[in-house]
Amino acid sequence: MLATVAQAVVNGLLIGGIYALVSIGVTLIFGVVKIVNFAQGEFVMIGMYISYFLAASFDVDPLVSLVVSMPVLFVIGVLFQHFLIRRVLGLGDMPQIFLTFAISLLLVNVALLLFTANYRTVQTPYSETAIHLGALYIPMAKLIAFAVAMALSGVLWAFLHATDLGKAMRAAAQNPDVAMLMGINPDRVFCVAVGIALALAGAAGSLLMPFYPAYPLVGQVFVLMAFVAVVLGTLGNVTGALIASLMMGVAESLGIQFVGADSGLIVVFAMLLLTLAVRPNGLFGGWNR
Amino acid sequence: MATTRSATRRRGRRDFLKASAGAAAFATFGIARKGFAAEPVNIGGLYPVTGSFAQIGQGCVNAAKLAVQMVNDAGGIKSLGGAPLNLIVSDVQSDTTVTRTETDRLISGYKLSAVHGCFASALTLIASEVAERAKMPLLTGSSSDMLNKDRHYTFTPFSRASQFALAQLQMSKLVSNSPKVAVIFENTAFGTSTSNGLREKAPAEGVEIVMFEPYSAGLTDASPLINKVKASGANMLFPVSYLNDLILIIRAIKQNGLEIAINGGSGGFVIPDFYKNVGAPAEGLLGVAHWNHDVNADAQKVNAVYKKQYGEFLFEYAGGLVAQTFMIADALERAASADPQKVRDALATLDVSSGYAAMGPGGKVKFGPDGKNIYAHPVGVQWQNGDLAAVFPKDDARAPLLKV
Repeated sequence: MLATVAQAVVNGLLIGGIYALVSIGVTLIFGVVKIVNFAQGEFVMIGMYISYFLAASFDVDPLVSLVVSMPVLFVIGVLFQHFLIRRVLGLGDMPQIFLTFAISLLLVNVALLLFTANYRTVQTPYSETAIHLGALYIPMAKLIAFAVAMALSGVLWAFLHATDLGKAMRAAAQNPDVAMLMGINPDRVFCVAVGIALALAGAAGSLLMPFYPAYPLVGQVFVLMAFVAVVLGTLGNVTGALIASLMMGVAESLGIQFVGADSGLIVVFAMLLLTLAVRPNGLFGGWNR
Repeated sequence: MATTRSATRRRGRRDFLKASAGAAAFATFGIARKGFAAEPVNIGGLYPVTGSFAQIGQGCVNAAKLAVQMVNDAGGIKSLGGAPLNLIVSDVQSDTTVTRTETDRLISGYKLSAVHGCFASALTLIASEVAERAKMPLLTGSSSDMLNKDRHYTFTPFSRASQFALAQLQMSKLVSNSPKVAVIFENTAFGTSTSNGLREKAPAEGVEIVMFEPYSAGLTDASPLINKVKASGANMLFPVSYLNDLILIIRAIKQNGLEIAINGGSGGFVIPDFYKNVGAPAEGLLGVAHWNHDVNADAQKVNAVYKKQYGEFLFEYAGGLVAQTFMIADALERAASADPQKVRDALATLDVSSGYAAMGPGGKVKFGPDGKNIYAHPVGVQWQNGDLAAVFPKDDARAPLLKV
């Protein structure tokens, strides 16, 4: 029994790491640029296809292809901000929602057209192996994904707190007008923020590839969890999104184990509703903003 | 102005009459001439070539074309003066609404003698309804038992869903004398109906079901589910799932060090794409099919031709479809007419035990009053070296069971 619970917690933490990469991207864009990016899942999908095609054509390990998917998505992010998001800032919520939602629809359908609806998987030597710790099995591919996700979150935290650009980003997030008076160029800061957020989505895609099939609608599987994590962890709070993602992974896994395999999400949403009833701003409302 | 206009009109009408008379004469002549040298017989094929079933649908169309070519190369329909078969394919787009309109369009738009389709039971049920109303014979490999209720124009030459469940339960005895089965199924119509069929029949077959668990289709992670299977103490797993969840489930089983036999049933489990995606961990997995390419020499022959042309083995539904085309050819031959009603009557009295029409498990085709082939039964298959081998029942087994 204890082993079963421990295994459920481990499984939950590991998938929570992936949810974290997606939700940190969403919350970063919201915190800095104040726009909800509904297309974040589709950028994960692009990351997956980049890794898939590098693996299929050049036999590149999906983990190595991180060095391609992250920069490519960073550039896409900068262009996305500069040419599209910038034009709808300050126009109210509707144009922003329409913009990112339209991008999401567009990317899904272009992917259907180019890549068809087929599932594509990559086989790596570590796709099916696991580390044994007593009765516990820790799947290698997910452990690597979790470790890299945590490392990237750590790097992002250090960047936001220790570098001038990171501090400028937090300043622009808190008050763009005052930040501008202090000589910070918000356009540049916003571009970098969206670039980083998309690079994280690309990283999530590459890290998923050794154990998850790629297909055009794959982003929507993960983006739902990401949005819940973002709200649970307080909108715009990077640390909050990370902790909330891990909590949700564990809640989902325990829910499947002890409530029912179709009730994992029920447990997650119950947790969200309870939290919002008690703390309407999410678990970390008031911190770190 | 007025005169000019009426003059134009008159001239127009006269020209039109002249032209149409010519066309009519030509058409009459054309038909008469064709009548001597055997007019082609049209068969409709309704398959999802786009949408979620696209890949399987395309495979079906490839097989249907191959079958028509085989009939024509062998001299066509002799009783109709060697008339060749002409396949008219319509894309039903994996969508029930489109299936209804496309079936209607195909039947009313062309002079057809019979139709076949649509792979997915949900689509076939609709097409069969439309065909019934239009009095058009329809052949299908779809397994839903509903296709045999109050239908006079639908013929199902292969095993039914209820037979699949029975075979799957019986196969668990291959693995253990006291099978303890975990059933995990997606919470959709397909998942619940299939799994309920398994649960109802399990006690009579001496199979104990130790876990019976629905899950939400579109898993992000199968590990929690597999952790639960592990805790149930089952020695056999029946996943009722589509391909993306299956891939995650099989991988999670390996990652969680679970030693368990797996029988994935039919559908997405017995197509080449499954092995392509799952790879080596698919070796030894069991499934159930209404047709397999190693059942007899004729099936192997067609498989070899298909494999050469398309690079992968002839899968369950597509292989059965080749046999269906030969059943239609046999009916046309005996009816000596392209009239759908006569073709339907000839199908109702079909009785074959050799040749391509009979190349299925059981080796014979004869339809009962409900349109079921009275000899049909499913065949148990196992993934061996990237190929599917028939391993159950004894009479149909073509390879020894691989122990894993």
